[in-house]
Amino acid sequence: MIFKLLLTMWMAVIIVAAFFYAGTAAGFPGQTSRILFFHVPQAWIATLAFLISMIASALYLAKRKVETDYVAQSAAELGFLFCVLATVTGSIFAKATWGSFWNWDPRQTSIVILLMIYGAYFALRSAVSDPERSRVFAGVYSILAFATVPFLVFIVPRITASLHPEDTMSPVNPGMDPKTLKVFLGSLLAYTGLFIWMLRLRIRLLRLKGLRVRDLYHEPDNE
Amino acid sequence: MQTRSSTYLNEAVAIWFRDLRSEFRTRYALNAILMFAVTTLIAVSFSIGSFRIEEAERPFLYSVLLWIILTFSALSGLSRSFVKEEEAGTIDVLKLSARPQAVFFGKLLFNLTLLGALELIIVPSFIFLMAYQINFPGFFVAMIISGGLGLGAGTTIIAAMIARASTRGALFSVLSLPLLLPLMITCIKGCERAAIGIHSAGWPEVKIAVAYVIIMVVMSLFLFPLIWEE
Repeated sequence: MIFKLLLTMWMAVIIVAAFFYAGTAAGFPGQTSRILFFHVPQAWIATLAFLISMIASALYLAKRKVETDYVAQSAAELGFLFCVLATVTGSIFAKATWGSFWNWDPRQTSIVILLMIYGAYFALRSAVSDPERSRVFAGVYSILAFATVPFLVFIVPRITASLHPEDTMSPVNPGMDPKTLKVFLGSLLAYTGLFIWMLRLRIRLLRLKGLRVRDLYHEPDNE
Repeated sequence: MQTRSSTYLNEAVAIWFRDLRSEFRTRYALNAILMFAVTTLIAVSFSIGSFRIEEAERPFLYSVLLWIILTFSALSGLSRSFVKEEEAGTIDVLKLSARPQAVFFGKLLFNLTLLGALELIIVPSFIFLMAYQINFPGFFVAMIISGGLGLGAGTTIIAAMIARASTRGALFSVLSLPLLLPLMITCIKGCERAAIGIHSAGWPEVKIAVAYVIIMVVMSLFLFPLIWEE
């Protein structure tokens, strides 16, 4: 409870700070550079979630503990959600700075393929009726999909040069304004907290659903 | 050790030949794939013709069309290799009579045979119907072959998965396409380059496609037993 309250207050502070405390970065029209405080943490959470999902899938395939599959599934769902958010916010930024919502910039290409992969992952999960089999297949697919990622990294940048801002907004860049850096790191923390909270909720929900289905078939031990 | 490694190969080849024989009797997968490809090719050729697209645009656009025809034709029939085992109920016998890796290799060889037949018929017809001028045939052929190997390597394990799912037809394409997309982009680029005739040193696209084949086959060998024994 206290964690949720603190998180709510922290997020509120970050949102206000993102608009009123931090300055705008040079080289970006108007207020557009403020996207840094929302878009980048969303992309970071999406990456983190997909990574967690992949590792949990591999663990499930090795040890076959249902709990790890709940983690894999929840993380994949949340990763998908944050990936969509990052795509939409990035697209709005693209309209404001590059002039079009969509121009198949390498970043946009790779994020679309990522969304396709996880869309397929959910389709696979829902198409296999046997729960155990569905978990194994989802795990295998997520590892296979992960194996194609290096190809995207090699191939996609060969097609066109990216317009995506890299160095100007990178937190490791010494040129970044200290105020901006503070709010950015605060926002990363806020989003990570939000992700952990959502992940735990989702895992709890899956666990309850799993219990109900199991109880229909077997008598619970403690009764 | 000598006998062990040879039995893996024997089993795989036995499955390959058995599938070829049963395919030769029904010609179900080959008919489905070829008819899909021929119909698409005719639709493309009829609506575009050989002069509609400007000369400068041809190498790129023809390469896109060719790979769309090849990929989607392959997706229309390659799932057959495992779906037919599930439908005929022969899957349990197959599990008893061969090791998982051998089954995977046998099915992969069978799918590659189908893809070879598809490419052998469709690629020359496409070149003939569209008047596709290729200035660097060696690179082009290498790209077509390595791309075909990639299509087989990327889809065989997916076919094994969807054979156990409830909505087979659509699911096969849905699952395969995201994995094939990097390969498709590479092949389109490679065929465009071969058609233009830029002598790009070392055929980089062919190398990428071969790397894709190796990675997919190795990953499948690790992951296939998990699916097969499920």
